[in-house]
Amino acid sequence: MAVAGTIAAIEFNSMHRMEQLFPSKGLTKIAKLSDYHKDLKGTEGDSDVYFYDSGKEGATVLIAGGTHPNESAGYLAAIVILENLKIESGRIIIIPMLNQSAFTCTDPMEALPDFFEIKTEKGVRKFRSGSRATNPLHQWPDPLVYSQYPSGQKYSGADSRNLNRCYPGKENGTHTEQVAFSIIQLLTQEKIDLAFDLHEAAPEIPIVKAIVYHAKSEGLAMNAILDLEMDGLSYTPELSPPNFHGLSHREWGDNTDVLPILMETANPIQGRLRGKTNADLILSGYCPNYKIAKETGALKIAYDDEGESLESRVGRHINGFVAILNAYNSEYPEKAIEISGLPTYNELKENKIGKYLN
Amino acid sequence: MKKTLSIAAILLFALAAFSQNKFEQPVLITSAGQSADVKLVQLLAKRQAIEGETKVMAKETDMDGVKTLIIVPGFSSKGLGSAGISQEDEMNRVKELVKTAQGKNIPIVMMHIGGKSRRGGQSDGFCEIIAENCKAMIVVKQGNEDGFFTDIAKKNNIQILEVEKISDAAVPLKELFK
Repeated sequence: MAVAGTIAAIEFNSMHRMEQLFPSKGLTKIAKLSDYHKDLKGTEGDSDVYFYDSGKEGATVLIAGGTHPNESAGYLAAIVILENLKIESGRIIIIPMLNQSAFTCTDPMEALPDFFEIKTEKGVRKFRSGSRATNPLHQWPDPLVYSQYPSGQKYSGADSRNLNRCYPGKENGTHTEQVAFSIIQLLTQEKIDLAFDLHEAAPEIPIVKAIVYHAKSEGLAMNAILDLEMDGLSYTPELSPPNFHGLSHREWGDNTDVLPILMETANPIQGRLRGKTNADLILSGYCPNYKIAKETGALKIAYDDEGESLESRVGRHINGFVAILNAYNSEYPEKAIEISGLPTYNELKENKIGKYLN
Repeated sequence: MKKTLSIAAILLFALAAFSQNKFEQPVLITSAGQSADVKLVQLLAKRQAIEGETKVMAKETDMDGVKTLIIVPGFSSKGLGSAGISQEDEMNRVKELVKTAQGKNIPIVMMHIGGKSRRGGQSDGFCEIIAENCKAMIVVKQGNEDGFFTDIAKKNNIQILEVEKISDAAVPLKELFK
Protein backbone atom coordinates (compact mmCIF):
# COMPACT_ATOMS: atom_id res chain seq x y z
CA MET A 1 0.00 0.00 0.00
CA ALA A 2 2.82 2.39 0.98
CA VAL A 3 4.68 1.59 -2.26
CA ALA A 4 1.56 2.23 -4.35
CA GLY A 5 0.96 5.49 -2.48
CA THR A 6 4.55 6.61 -3.05
CA ILE A 7 4.36 5.83 -6.79
CA ALA A 8 1.07 7.72 -7.06
CA ALA A 9 2.57 10.69 -5.20
CA ILE A 10 5.61 10.77 -7.49
CA GLU A 11 3.36 10.55 -10.55
CA PHE A 12 1.09 13.30 -9.16
CA ASN A 13 4.03 15.61 -8.44
CA SER A 14 5.60 15.02 -11.83
CA MET A 15 2.60 16.77 -13.40
CA HIS A 16 3.77 19.97 -11.68
CA ARG A 17 7.19 19.87 -13.35
CA MET A 18 7.40 22.44 -16.16
CA GLU A 19 8.77 21.40 -19.53
CA GLN A 20 12.02 23.09 -20.49
CA LEU A 21 11.56 25.06 -23.70
CA PHE A 22 14.37 26.15 -26.05
CA PRO A 23 13.41 29.43 -27.73
CA SER A 24 14.97 30.41 -31.05
CA LYS A 25 17.71 33.05 -31.20
CA GLY A 26 15.14 35.72 -31.98
CA LEU A 27 13.94 35.76 -28.36
CA THR A 28 14.38 39.20 -26.78
CA LYS A 29 12.63 38.92 -23.41
CA ILE A 30 10.72 36.55 -21.13
CA ALA A 31 8.00 38.16 -19.01
CA LYS A 32 5.30 36.70 -16.75
CA LEU A 33 1.53 37.06 -16.69
CA SER A 34 2.01 38.60 -13.22
CA ASP A 35 3.67 41.55 -14.98
CA TYR A 36 0.13 42.35 -16.17
CA HIS A 37 -1.72 41.34 -13.02
CA LYS A 38 0.46 41.26 -9.92
CA ASP A 39 -1.85 39.01 -7.89
CA LEU A 40 -0.80 36.09 -10.09
CA LYS A 41 2.80 36.28 -8.86
CA GLY A 42 3.87 33.03 -7.27
CA THR A 43 0.69 31.21 -8.28
CA GLU A 44 0.19 28.40 -10.80
CA GLY A 45 -1.38 30.99 -13.10
CA ASP A 46 1.84 32.93 -13.61
CA SER A 47 2.69 31.65 -17.12
CA ASP A 48 5.78 32.65 -19.08
CA VAL A 49 5.38 35.21 -21.87
CA TYR A 50 8.01 35.12 -24.63
CA PHE A 51 8.85 38.24 -26.66
CA TYR A 52 10.35 38.31 -30.16
CA ASP A 53 10.99 41.94 -31.07
CA SER A 54 12.59 42.68 -34.44
CA GLY A 55 13.23 46.27 -33.40
CA LYS A 56 11.65 47.31 -36.70
CA GLU A 57 8.19 48.73 -37.27
CA GLY A 58 5.31 46.35 -37.79
CA ALA A 59 2.33 44.80 -36.07
CA THR A 60 2.40 43.03 -32.70
CA VAL A 61 0.95 39.54 -32.75
CA LEU A 62 0.07 37.22 -29.86
CA ILE A 63 0.11 33.43 -30.19
CA ALA A 64 -1.53 31.58 -27.31
CA GLY A 65 -1.35 27.81 -26.85
CA GLY A 66 -2.41 25.78 -23.86
CA THR A 67 -5.72 27.45 -23.14
CA HIS A 68 -6.85 23.81 -22.95
CA PRO A 69 -3.79 21.64 -22.17
CA ASN A 70 -5.58 18.45 -23.27
CA GLU A 71 -5.44 19.90 -26.80
CA SER A 72 -1.82 19.00 -27.51
CA ALA A 73 -1.45 20.45 -31.01
CA GLY A 74 -2.55 23.87 -29.73
CA TYR A 75 0.42 24.28 -27.42
CA LEU A 76 2.85 22.18 -29.49
CA ALA A 77 2.25 24.53 -32.43
CA ALA A 78 3.06 27.48 -30.15
CA ILE A 79 6.22 25.68 -28.97
CA VAL A 80 7.35 24.83 -32.53
CA ILE A 81 6.88 28.50 -33.46
CA LEU A 82 8.75 29.57 -30.30
CA GLU A 83 11.71 27.30 -31.07
CA ASN A 84 12.03 28.16 -34.80
CA LEU A 85 10.84 31.74 -35.27
CA LYS A 86 12.93 34.35 -37.05
CA ILE A 87 11.42 37.81 -37.14
CA GLU A 88 12.39 40.55 -39.56
CA SER A 89 9.80 43.22 -38.76
CA GLY A 90 7.18 43.72 -36.06
CA ARG A 91 6.86 41.85 -32.80
CA ILE A 92 5.54 38.45 -31.78
CA ILE A 93 4.57 37.46 -28.26
CA ILE A 94 4.06 33.77 -27.48
CA ILE A 95 2.40 32.21 -24.44
CA PRO A 96 2.71 28.48 -25.10
CA MET A 97 1.14 27.35 -21.81
CA LEU A 98 -1.60 29.82 -21.15
CA ASN A 99 -3.52 28.00 -18.42
CA GLN A 100 -0.53 26.64 -16.55
CA SER A 101 -2.65 25.20 -13.73
CA ALA A 102 -4.54 23.00 -16.19
CA PHE A 103 -1.25 21.34 -17.20
CA THR A 104 -0.96 19.88 -13.69
CA CYS A 105 -3.86 17.40 -13.89
CA THR A 106 -5.91 15.44 -16.39
CA ASP A 107 -9.69 15.31 -16.81
CA PRO A 108 -11.31 12.80 -14.46
CA MET A 109 -12.97 9.64 -15.85
CA GLU A 110 -11.30 10.01 -19.24
CA ALA A 111 -8.32 7.60 -18.81
CA LEU A 112 -6.10 10.13 -20.56
CA PRO A 113 -2.31 9.78 -20.44
CA ASP A 114 -0.34 12.24 -18.28
CA PHE A 115 2.52 12.57 -20.76
CA PHE A 116 3.64 11.92 -24.30
CA GLU A 117 7.15 11.79 -25.69
CA ILE A 118 8.65 13.12 -28.91
CA LYS A 119 11.99 11.99 -30.33
CA THR A 120 14.19 14.89 -31.38
CA GLU A 121 17.67 15.02 -32.85
CA LYS A 122 19.07 15.71 -29.37
CA GLY A 123 17.05 13.15 -27.44
CA VAL A 124 13.54 12.49 -26.21
CA ARG A 125 11.38 15.35 -24.95
CA LYS A 126 8.48 14.71 -22.62
CA PHE A 127 5.35 16.86 -22.64
CA ARG A 128 2.42 16.89 -20.27
CA SER A 129 -1.07 16.26 -21.57
CA GLY A 130 -3.20 18.20 -19.15
CA SER A 131 -6.81 19.05 -18.54
CA ARG A 132 -9.37 21.24 -20.28
CA ALA A 133 -9.82 23.22 -17.07
CA THR A 134 -7.89 24.70 -14.17
CA ASN A 135 -6.78 22.13 -11.56
CA PRO A 136 -9.41 21.95 -8.77
CA LEU A 137 -6.48 22.22 -6.34
CA HIS A 138 -6.15 25.82 -7.48
CA GLN A 139 -9.83 26.67 -7.74
CA TRP A 140 -12.45 24.83 -5.74
CA PRO A 141 -15.34 24.18 -5.32
CA ASP A 142 -17.21 24.63 -8.59
CA PRO A 143 -20.55 26.42 -8.36
CA LEU A 144 -23.62 24.44 -9.40
CA VAL A 145 -24.12 26.95 -12.19
CA TYR A 146 -21.38 29.25 -13.44
CA SER A 147 -22.55 32.79 -14.07
CA GLN A 148 -20.11 34.28 -16.55
CA TYR A 149 -18.72 37.71 -15.62
CA PRO A 150 -19.82 40.30 -16.62
CA SER A 151 -22.44 38.94 -19.09
CA GLY A 152 -24.28 36.80 -16.54
CA GLN A 153 -24.53 34.04 -19.16
CA LYS A 154 -25.06 30.66 -17.51
CA TYR A 155 -22.74 27.70 -18.03
CA SER A 156 -22.19 24.42 -16.21
CA GLY A 157 -20.34 24.80 -12.90
CA ALA A 158 -17.17 23.15 -14.24
CA ASP A 159 -16.89 25.87 -16.88
CA SER A 160 -15.94 28.28 -14.10
CA ARG A 161 -12.48 26.66 -14.45
CA ASN A 162 -12.50 26.81 -18.26
CA LEU A 163 -10.28 29.73 -19.25
CA ASN A 164 -12.12 30.01 -22.56
CA ARG A 165 -15.35 30.85 -20.78
CA CYS A 166 -13.82 33.38 -18.37
CA TYR A 167 -12.80 36.33 -20.56
CA PRO A 168 -12.61 39.28 -20.04
CA GLY A 169 -11.85 38.07 -16.52
CA LYS A 170 -12.03 39.79 -13.19
CA GLU A 171 -9.25 41.52 -11.25
CA ASN A 172 -10.27 40.04 -7.90
CA GLY A 173 -12.12 37.00 -9.25
CA THR A 174 -11.40 33.28 -9.19
CA HIS A 175 -8.01 31.94 -10.21
CA THR A 176 -9.20 31.37 -13.81
CA GLU A 177 -10.90 34.78 -14.02
CA GLN A 178 -7.66 36.40 -12.86
CA VAL A 179 -5.64 34.59 -15.54
CA ALA A 180 -8.20 35.77 -18.13
CA PHE A 181 -7.95 39.30 -16.70
CA SER A 182 -4.15 39.25 -17.08
CA ILE A 183 -4.47 38.28 -20.76
CA ILE A 184 -6.81 41.19 -21.45
CA GLN A 185 -4.34 43.50 -19.69
CA LEU A 186 -1.50 42.11 -21.80
CA LEU A 187 -3.49 42.54 -25.03
CA THR A 188 -4.17 46.17 -24.10
CA GLN A 189 -0.80 47.17 -22.64
CA GLU A 190 1.24 45.55 -25.39
CA LYS A 191 -1.06 47.05 -28.06
CA ILE A 192 -1.58 43.68 -29.74
CA ASP A 193 -2.96 43.97 -33.29
CA LEU A 194 -3.70 40.34 -34.09
CA ALA A 195 -4.08 37.41 -31.68
CA PHE A 196 -4.33 33.65 -32.13
CA ASP A 197 -5.78 31.13 -29.69
CA LEU A 198 -4.84 27.59 -30.78
CA HIS A 199 -7.22 24.74 -29.95
CA GLU A 200 -8.31 21.21 -30.85
CA ALA A 201 -11.63 19.40 -30.67
CA ALA A 202 -13.21 15.98 -31.16
CA PRO A 203 -13.44 14.93 -34.83
CA GLU A 204 -17.18 14.21 -34.54
CA ILE A 205 -18.19 17.78 -33.75
CA PRO A 206 -18.86 20.13 -36.69
CA ILE A 207 -16.55 22.94 -35.56
CA VAL A 208 -13.18 21.31 -36.25
CA LYS A 209 -10.62 22.03 -38.94
CA ALA A 210 -12.07 25.48 -38.51
CA ILE A 211 -11.10 29.11 -38.20
CA VAL A 212 -13.38 30.92 -35.77
CA TYR A 213 -13.23 34.66 -36.24
CA HIS A 214 -14.59 37.79 -34.61
CA ALA A 215 -16.58 39.90 -37.10
CA LYS A 216 -13.75 42.41 -37.29
CA SER A 217 -11.30 39.64 -38.34
CA GLU A 218 -13.62 38.43 -41.11
CA GLY A 219 -11.61 39.73 -44.07
CA LEU A 220 -8.42 38.12 -42.77
CA ALA A 221 -10.14 34.79 -42.13
CA MET A 222 -11.81 34.61 -45.55
CA ASN A 223 -8.72 35.56 -47.55
CA ALA A 224 -6.61 33.12 -45.54
CA ILE A 225 -9.11 30.28 -46.00
CA LEU A 226 -9.07 30.69 -49.78
CA ASP A 227 -5.27 30.85 -49.84
CA LEU A 228 -4.95 27.80 -47.59
CA GLU A 229 -7.32 25.89 -49.82
CA MET A 230 -5.12 26.65 -52.84
CA ASP A 231 -2.37 24.86 -50.89
CA GLY A 232 -4.65 21.87 -50.34
CA LEU A 233 -5.76 22.57 -46.75
CA SER A 234 -9.43 23.18 -46.15
CA TYR A 235 -10.72 25.15 -43.16
CA THR A 236 -14.33 25.81 -42.23
CA PRO A 237 -15.11 29.45 -41.44
CA GLU A 238 -17.13 30.08 -38.28
CA LEU A 239 -18.26 33.50 -37.13
CA SER A 240 -18.04 34.16 -33.39
CA PRO A 241 -21.60 34.69 -32.13
CA PRO A 242 -21.93 38.01 -30.27
CA ASN A 243 -24.05 36.40 -27.56
CA PHE A 244 -21.63 33.55 -26.74
CA HIS A 245 -19.68 35.12 -23.92
CA GLY A 246 -16.41 34.37 -22.22
CA LEU A 247 -14.57 33.02 -25.26
CA SER A 248 -11.35 34.47 -26.64
CA HIS A 249 -12.70 34.95 -30.17
CA ARG A 250 -15.53 37.01 -28.68
CA GLU A 251 -14.11 38.89 -25.68
CA TRP A 252 -10.60 39.63 -26.95
CA GLY A 253 -12.28 41.40 -29.85
CA ASP A 254 -14.98 43.13 -27.81
CA ASN A 255 -12.73 44.33 -24.98
CA THR A 256 -9.55 45.32 -26.82
CA ASP A 257 -8.40 46.57 -30.24
CA VAL A 258 -7.22 43.07 -31.17
CA LEU A 259 -8.30 41.13 -34.26
CA PRO A 260 -8.89 37.69 -32.70
CA ILE A 261 -8.65 34.33 -34.45
CA LEU A 262 -9.25 30.90 -32.90
CA MET A 263 -8.22 27.77 -34.78
CA GLU A 264 -9.39 24.20 -34.21
CA THR A 265 -7.85 20.95 -35.41
CA ALA A 266 -9.38 17.47 -35.09
CA ASN A 267 -7.89 15.41 -32.25
CA PRO A 268 -9.28 11.86 -31.89
CA ILE A 269 -8.19 11.51 -28.24
CA GLN A 270 -10.84 14.09 -27.37
CA GLY A 271 -13.60 12.21 -29.13
CA ARG A 272 -16.37 10.09 -27.65
CA LEU A 273 -15.86 7.45 -30.33
CA ARG A 274 -12.22 6.83 -29.49
CA GLY A 275 -10.98 3.38 -28.52
CA LYS A 276 -7.65 2.69 -26.85
CA THR A 277 -6.64 5.89 -25.10
CA ASN A 278 -2.92 6.36 -24.72
CA ALA A 279 0.02 8.61 -25.62
CA ASP A 280 0.29 6.98 -29.03
CA LEU A 281 -3.19 8.25 -29.90
CA ILE A 282 -2.02 11.81 -29.19
CA LEU A 283 0.95 11.32 -31.53
CA SER A 284 -0.53 9.26 -34.35
CA GLY A 285 -4.09 10.53 -34.16
CA TYR A 286 -5.05 7.13 -35.49
CA CYS A 287 -8.00 5.24 -34.10
CA PRO A 288 -9.78 2.61 -36.23
CA ASN A 289 -13.12 3.68 -34.75
CA TYR A 290 -12.89 6.96 -36.64
CA LYS A 291 -12.29 5.15 -39.92
CA ILE A 292 -15.53 3.25 -39.26
CA ALA A 293 -17.26 6.49 -38.32
CA LYS A 294 -16.13 8.02 -41.59
CA GLU A 295 -17.39 5.04 -43.57
CA THR A 296 -20.79 5.23 -41.89
CA GLY A 297 -21.04 8.97 -42.52
CA ALA A 298 -20.89 9.93 -38.83
CA LEU A 299 -18.03 12.37 -39.35
CA LYS A 300 -18.48 15.91 -40.65
CA ILE A 301 -14.85 16.38 -41.61
CA ALA A 302 -12.48 14.84 -44.15
CA TYR A 303 -10.79 12.40 -41.77
CA ASP A 304 -7.44 11.09 -42.94
CA ASP A 305 -7.52 7.26 -42.97
CA GLU A 306 -3.97 7.28 -41.67
CA GLY A 307 -5.08 9.35 -38.68
CA GLU A 308 -4.88 13.00 -37.70
CA SER A 309 -1.24 12.93 -36.60
CA LEU A 310 0.30 15.50 -34.28
CA GLU A 311 2.38 16.63 -37.26
CA SER A 312 -0.68 17.30 -39.42
CA ARG A 313 -2.51 19.05 -36.56
CA VAL A 314 0.46 21.26 -35.66
CA GLY A 315 1.08 21.85 -39.37
CA ARG A 316 -2.49 23.04 -39.89
CA HIS A 317 -2.09 25.54 -37.04
CA ILE A 318 1.21 26.83 -38.38
CA ASN A 319 0.03 27.11 -42.00
CA GLY A 320 -3.17 28.78 -40.77
CA PHE A 321 -1.15 31.24 -38.68
CA VAL A 322 1.12 32.13 -41.61
CA ALA A 323 -1.82 32.49 -44.04
CA ILE A 324 -3.61 34.88 -41.70
CA LEU A 325 -0.41 36.82 -41.18
CA ASN A 326 -0.08 37.13 -44.98
CA ALA A 327 -3.70 38.29 -45.21
CA TYR A 328 -2.97 40.85 -42.46
CA ASN A 329 0.09 42.12 -44.34
CA SER A 330 -1.99 42.57 -47.51
CA GLU A 331 -4.68 44.49 -45.64
CA TYR A 332 -2.33 46.56 -43.45
CA PRO A 333 0.90 46.92 -45.49
CA GLU A 334 2.01 49.84 -43.33
CA LYS A 335 2.17 47.47 -40.33
CA ALA A 336 3.47 44.40 -42.15
CA ILE A 337 5.08 41.77 -39.97
CA GLU A 338 7.70 39.58 -41.60
CA ILE A 339 8.74 36.21 -40.25
CA SER A 340 10.56 33.11 -41.42
CA GLY A 341 12.00 29.87 -40.10
CA LEU A 342 8.73 28.04 -39.46
CA PRO A 343 8.18 24.54 -40.84
CA THR A 344 5.26 24.09 -43.19
CA TYR A 345 2.49 21.50 -42.96
CA ASN A 346 4.20 19.39 -45.62
CA GLU A 347 7.62 19.65 -43.97
CA LEU A 348 6.19 18.60 -40.61
CA LYS A 349 4.46 15.61 -42.19
CA GLU A 350 7.58 14.61 -44.06
CA ASN A 351 10.25 15.21 -41.42
CA LYS A 352 8.22 14.64 -38.21
CA ILE A 353 7.82 17.18 -35.45
CA GLY A 354 10.98 16.18 -33.53
CA LYS A 355 13.12 17.75 -36.24
CA TYR A 356 11.66 21.14 -35.32
CA LEU A 357 12.13 20.89 -31.56
CA ASN A 358 15.51 22.11 -30.25
CA MET B 1 1.39 16.03 -69.49
CA LYS B 2 -1.07 14.19 -71.73
CA LYS B 3 -3.18 13.36 -68.68
CA THR B 4 -3.15 16.99 -67.47
CA LEU B 5 -4.21 18.23 -70.91
CA SER B 6 -7.01 15.65 -71.04
CA ILE B 7 -8.30 16.71 -67.60
CA ALA B 8 -8.12 20.39 -68.61
CA ALA B 9 -10.04 19.64 -71.81
CA ILE B 10 -12.75 17.76 -69.87
CA LEU B 11 -13.03 20.62 -67.38
CA LEU B 12 -13.29 23.21 -70.14
CA PHE B 13 -15.97 21.13 -71.85
CA ALA B 14 -17.86 20.75 -68.56
CA LEU B 15 -17.57 24.48 -67.89
CA ALA B 16 -18.77 25.36 -71.40
CA ALA B 17 -21.74 23.01 -71.08
CA PHE B 18 -22.48 24.24 -67.58
CA SER B 19 -22.51 27.94 -68.40
CA GLN B 20 -24.83 27.71 -71.43
CA ASN B 21 -27.66 29.34 -69.50
CA LYS B 22 -26.54 32.83 -68.60
CA PHE B 23 -27.82 34.81 -65.62
CA GLU B 24 -28.08 38.52 -65.13
CA GLN B 25 -26.55 40.95 -62.65
CA PRO B 26 -26.90 42.49 -60.08
CA VAL B 27 -26.99 39.55 -57.73
CA LEU B 28 -28.07 39.19 -54.14
CA ILE B 29 -25.98 36.68 -52.18
CA THR B 30 -27.50 35.17 -49.07
CA SER B 31 -27.20 32.19 -46.76
CA ALA B 32 -29.56 29.33 -46.02
CA GLY B 33 -28.58 28.06 -42.59
CA GLN B 34 -26.29 30.97 -41.63
CA SER B 35 -22.95 29.27 -42.18
CA ALA B 36 -20.04 31.63 -42.79
CA ASP B 37 -19.56 29.99 -46.21
CA VAL B 38 -21.68 32.84 -47.57
CA LYS B 39 -18.79 35.19 -46.80
CA LEU B 40 -16.42 33.08 -48.87
CA VAL B 41 -18.85 33.22 -51.80
CA GLN B 42 -19.06 36.98 -51.30
CA LEU B 43 -15.27 37.13 -51.59
CA LEU B 44 -15.26 34.92 -54.71
CA ALA B 45 -17.91 37.13 -56.32
CA LYS B 46 -15.97 40.25 -55.39
CA ARG B 47 -12.76 38.85 -56.87
CA GLN B 48 -14.68 38.02 -60.08
CA ALA B 49 -16.20 41.52 -60.18
CA ILE B 50 -19.77 40.23 -60.06
CA GLU B 51 -22.08 43.14 -59.40
CA GLY B 52 -24.38 42.95 -56.38
CA GLU B 53 -24.48 42.75 -52.63
CA THR B 54 -24.52 40.24 -49.79
CA LYS B 55 -27.14 40.11 -47.07
CA VAL B 56 -26.80 37.05 -44.89
CA MET B 57 -30.37 37.52 -43.62
CA ALA B 58 -31.90 38.73 -46.89
CA LYS B 59 -35.68 39.10 -46.93
CA GLU B 60 -38.33 39.55 -49.64
CA THR B 61 -37.95 43.32 -49.34
CA ASP B 62 -34.28 43.09 -50.37
CA MET B 63 -35.17 41.63 -53.77
CA ASP B 64 -36.03 44.87 -55.58
CA GLY B 65 -33.81 45.26 -58.64
CA VAL B 66 -32.13 41.91 -58.07
CA LYS B 67 -31.68 39.83 -61.24
CA THR B 68 -30.23 36.66 -59.72
CA LEU B 69 -30.29 35.24 -56.21
CA ILE B 70 -27.20 33.30 -55.13
CA ILE B 71 -27.91 31.12 -52.09
CA VAL B 72 -25.24 29.37 -50.05
CA PRO B 73 -26.77 26.54 -48.00
CA GLY B 74 -25.17 25.17 -44.82
CA PHE B 75 -26.18 25.03 -41.18
CA SER B 76 -24.09 26.68 -38.48
CA SER B 77 -25.15 26.89 -34.85
CA LYS B 78 -22.62 29.69 -34.34
CA GLY B 79 -24.07 31.50 -37.35
CA LEU B 80 -27.64 31.17 -36.10
CA GLY B 81 -26.41 32.37 -32.70
CA SER B 82 -24.81 35.39 -34.36
CA ALA B 83 -28.04 36.18 -36.16
CA GLY B 84 -30.03 35.65 -32.96
CA ILE B 85 -32.54 33.31 -34.59
CA SER B 86 -33.62 29.69 -34.34
CA GLN B 87 -33.27 27.03 -37.02
CA GLU B 88 -37.03 27.20 -37.56
CA ASP B 89 -36.89 31.00 -38.05
CA GLU B 90 -34.14 30.52 -40.60
CA MET B 91 -36.04 27.85 -42.49
CA ASN B 92 -39.12 30.08 -42.64
CA ARG B 93 -37.00 32.97 -43.95
CA VAL B 94 -35.46 30.76 -46.62
CA LYS B 95 -38.83 29.36 -47.73
CA GLU B 96 -40.25 32.88 -48.04
CA LEU B 97 -37.21 34.02 -49.98
CA VAL B 98 -37.49 31.13 -52.45
CA LYS B 99 -41.22 31.79 -52.86
CA THR B 100 -40.62 35.50 -53.52
CA ALA B 101 -37.84 34.77 -56.03
CA GLN B 102 -40.09 32.38 -57.92
CA GLY B 103 -42.96 34.89 -57.83
CA LYS B 104 -40.71 37.57 -59.33
CA ASN B 105 -39.04 35.19 -61.82
CA ILE B 106 -35.65 35.75 -60.21
CA PRO B 107 -33.50 32.68 -60.86
CA ILE B 108 -31.64 31.06 -57.97
CA VAL B 109 -28.06 29.84 -58.23
CA MET B 110 -26.96 27.51 -55.45
CA MET B 111 -23.36 27.38 -54.27
CA HIS B 112 -22.55 24.61 -51.81
CA ILE B 113 -18.91 25.05 -50.88
CA GLY B 114 -18.69 23.78 -47.30
CA GLY B 115 -18.01 20.11 -48.06
CA LYS B 116 -18.92 17.53 -45.46
CA SER B 117 -19.08 20.10 -42.66
CA ARG B 118 -22.22 21.52 -44.29
CA ARG B 119 -23.95 18.27 -45.15
CA GLY B 120 -26.13 15.82 -43.26
CA GLY B 121 -28.01 16.55 -40.06
CA GLN B 122 -29.31 20.07 -39.85
CA SER B 123 -27.68 21.19 -43.11
CA ASP B 124 -29.52 18.87 -45.47
CA GLY B 125 -32.92 20.49 -45.00
CA PHE B 126 -31.45 23.77 -46.24
CA CYS B 127 -29.45 22.06 -49.00
CA GLU B 128 -32.54 20.25 -50.27
CA ILE B 129 -34.89 23.22 -50.51
CA ILE B 130 -32.30 25.35 -52.32
CA ALA B 131 -31.10 22.59 -54.64
CA GLU B 132 -34.66 21.68 -55.68
CA ASN B 133 -35.53 25.28 -56.48
CA CYS B 134 -32.39 26.54 -58.19
CA LYS B 135 -31.59 26.90 -61.90
CA ALA B 136 -27.89 26.08 -61.55
CA MET B 137 -25.69 24.68 -58.83
CA ILE B 138 -21.98 24.71 -58.17
CA VAL B 139 -20.89 22.23 -55.52
CA VAL B 140 -17.54 21.40 -54.00
CA LYS B 141 -17.00 17.69 -54.59
CA GLN B 142 -16.53 16.70 -50.94
CA GLY B 143 -20.09 17.79 -50.17
CA ASN B 144 -21.51 15.62 -52.95
CA GLU B 145 -19.70 12.33 -52.33
CA ASP B 146 -23.04 10.59 -51.79
CA GLY B 147 -24.48 12.07 -55.00
CA PHE B 148 -27.06 14.08 -53.04
CA PHE B 149 -26.88 17.12 -55.31
CA THR B 150 -26.35 15.12 -58.50
CA ASP B 151 -29.55 13.17 -57.84
CA ILE B 152 -31.57 16.34 -57.24
CA ALA B 153 -30.06 17.95 -60.35
CA LYS B 154 -30.93 14.93 -62.53
CA LYS B 155 -34.44 14.63 -61.16
CA ASN B 156 -35.21 18.33 -61.70
CA ASN B 157 -33.14 18.87 -64.87
CA ILE B 158 -30.89 21.45 -63.20
CA GLN B 159 -27.41 22.25 -64.50
CA ILE B 160 -24.75 21.23 -61.98
CA LEU B 161 -20.99 21.67 -61.86
CA GLU B 162 -18.85 19.85 -59.36
CA VAL B 163 -15.51 21.44 -58.48
CA GLU B 164 -12.61 20.11 -56.43
CA LYS B 165 -12.01 23.18 -54.29
CA ILE B 166 -13.76 26.38 -53.26
CA SER B 167 -11.33 28.48 -55.27
CA ASP B 168 -12.17 26.38 -58.38
CA ALA B 169 -15.73 27.71 -58.14
CA ALA B 170 -14.67 31.29 -58.93
CA VAL B 171 -14.36 31.07 -62.73
CA PRO B 172 -17.52 28.96 -63.27
CA LEU B 173 -19.42 31.44 -61.12
CA LYS B 174 -18.25 34.31 -63.31
CA GLU B 175 -19.04 32.31 -66.46
CA LEU B 176 -22.66 31.93 -65.34
CA PHE B 177 -23.24 35.65 -65.77
CA LYS B 178 -23.69 37.75 -68.89
